[in-house]
Amino acid sequence: MTGNRWAGEAARTAALRVLAERGGLAVTLVFYVLVTVVLASLWRAAVGANGGSVAGYSVVAITWYVAMTEATTVSIRQRLISDVGRDIGSGAIAVELLRPAPVLGVRLAGELGHVLPRLAACVVTGGVLSTMVSGPPPEPAALALALPSLVLAVACNLAAQYAFAGAAFWLRDAGSAWFLYQKLVFILGGMLIPLEALPDWMHRVASVLPFRAMSYSPARLASGHFEPVLLVEQAGWLVLLLAGAAAIFRAGERRLQVVGG
Amino acid sequence: MRSRLETWITAVPNLKWNLDELFGEGDRLCAQFTFTGTHRGPLRDGRGNELAPGRKALRIRGVGVYVVDAGKIIDSSIYSTSAPSEARRGRRNSCASPTPGQPRYGMAIEVRHLTKVFETGRRRSLRRVEAVDDLSLTVEAGERVAYIGPNGAGKSTSIKILTGILHPTRGEATVLGVVPWLDRRRLAARIGTLFGQRSLLWFELTPRQSYRMLAAIYGLDRAQEQARVGDLAELLEAGDLFDLPVRNLSLGQRMRCELAACMLHEPEVLFLDEPTIGLDLLAKQRFRELLVRLNTERRTTIFLTSHDVADIEHVAERAIVINHGAVIYDDDVTAMRRTLLSTKLVEVGLSEPAELPTIAGVSLLEHSATAMKLSVDTTTTSIRCVLDTVLDGLPVVDISVLDPPLEQVIAAIYARPRR
Repeated sequence: MTGNRWAGEAARTAALRVLAERGGLAVTLVFYVLVTVVLASLWRAAVGANGGSVAGYSVVAITWYVAMTEATTVSIRQRLISDVGRDIGSGAIAVELLRPAPVLGVRLAGELGHVLPRLAACVVTGGVLSTMVSGPPPEPAALALALPSLVLAVACNLAAQYAFAGAAFWLRDAGSAWFLYQKLVFILGGMLIPLEALPDWMHRVASVLPFRAMSYSPARLASGHFEPVLLVEQAGWLVLLLAGAAAIFRAGERRLQVVGG
Repeated sequence: MRSRLETWITAVPNLKWNLDELFGEGDRLCAQFTFTGTHRGPLRDGRGNELAPGRKALRIRGVGVYVVDAGKIIDSSIYSTSAPSEARRGRRNSCASPTPGQPRYGMAIEVRHLTKVFETGRRRSLRRVEAVDDLSLTVEAGERVAYIGPNGAGKSTSIKILTGILHPTRGEATVLGVVPWLDRRRLAARIGTLFGQRSLLWFELTPRQSYRMLAAIYGLDRAQEQARVGDLAELLEAGDLFDLPVRNLSLGQRMRCELAACMLHEPEVLFLDEPTIGLDLLAKQRFRELLVRLNTERRTTIFLTSHDVADIEHVAERAIVINHGAVIYDDDVTAMRRTLLSTKLVEVGLSEPAELPTIAGVSLLEHSATAMKLSVDTTTTSIRCVLDTVLDGLPVVDISVLDPPLEQVIAAIYARPRR
């Protein structure tokens, strides 16, 4: 009805908000550096103790891996599922229904605009940190693929979080969903441990779930593995997750229209 | 049903049409359809109003609604048309509002027998709550209406239905000819909403930055957006506030910017829910003046909900009072006092201390050496009789007859049974 200029403007407005809150961005970066340094140190020690490689990751590779998984996680608003769920449960989302643009579309575009400046800041900082601590990226061509993969990763994560948060249309409280979701991304998404280092059965489970598209894929690429298929896989998951979130929100909005907020 | 519709629509030649949705129960149905085509000669909507007067041929596209009862069309409305030049500009223009300042005629809101029943609890202890119960009302374009009632009266539920957020259980309603729950987004482009507790602006940004985002949502291009922001800055005398971060604005300043936000797309109807809540006296007064100015200069229909009696008194021309989900009073605000209460207040200034003689139906509210305030029950004694007695028997230097405060009138209305 109104064209799609709203998507660009929603992203732009959210990015402006992040840049207006420079203190918040600085705190995010400090937190990112701390967590990355601690995790990278632990992994470097483990790799050193294991003869210079764990599950095929060298010291340089694991440092870049950790820097990228943390960038995808830290750049996304924490407790997003709970916040969105609260907006749905409290009826605050009703105000957004009074606009001639899709609620989910505007929100997702806004979240992406919120994430991208933070992601850029984290990736640049993480790149500098990894180069200083361990050395340059193991495979520049793979790193080039990691850049679009990072964007796809956060987009998949946001779409999945909105799909989870949509439960609040029925449950009124999506807070518990956030706890479960976070742990799934940490473990099955390869945020804490590269998927190759997981037990075989768990690796197989993780390979058929969308969580690996949210963290593992860009980290795998940045750690020197030139595997373009990961991008295709991410794009596929993004389409599915967006379709799922859209279906849940459509059903949820219909329910809200019938039973009230 | 389909053949009935076909008969009607094919009476307009050269139109392609499609039945999109059918709602309702039994014989009583509501059908929504879309149509496109070139129409020659005058085209009229369901109420006989000519669409695009003076045009010989009209490329049209739109949506219509028929309400059908026992196989007959008992009501119809076509709520979107587009001429060739407008069609090229996109669908939004098909429902564009009239030019600012141009009078807006017709019915803004029509509600007939609207009912909303909420079901709460589990299957065995299922409870049905009738939040809106057979509500009927009409609001003409350009009116300023206060929609009031005690907490839990059904105001918010009915406003949610009228803005398309909620489906009714039964009944019919149109806002600007649109059935809200059938076409929420199309209606959203033509109405504005301001809920006192919920901000349309982003606190970290300036209002102007927020307006850019809202303008994109409402399909305005940059030139239109800048023109309207400039226009609203002048109208609301708020241009100097538009470039300050919202977090630095006082509540009164922010509410002026919120009003600009909800007026950006030039809505034809403005739904306001407690818009002055939390404002100080001066800010409230200014906000009320702005609402009246919006209405008089742009003919924007104002549909105001407020518990603040002064909002009703200074903004609304007409009051609709609901309780238990139904209308219990609907009349001019000025008529409320006069027609509803049989009480008048008489304030008397005295040159020296005096005692009030006993008069049936008159009670003394306040008494000092130089003044007294009387309450007169006009069903017992006439004002003329009271004035004659007071003027003859007391050393009067000043006397005035007043209506009781509006709070008292509204409280009396709330206490009335349903009509």
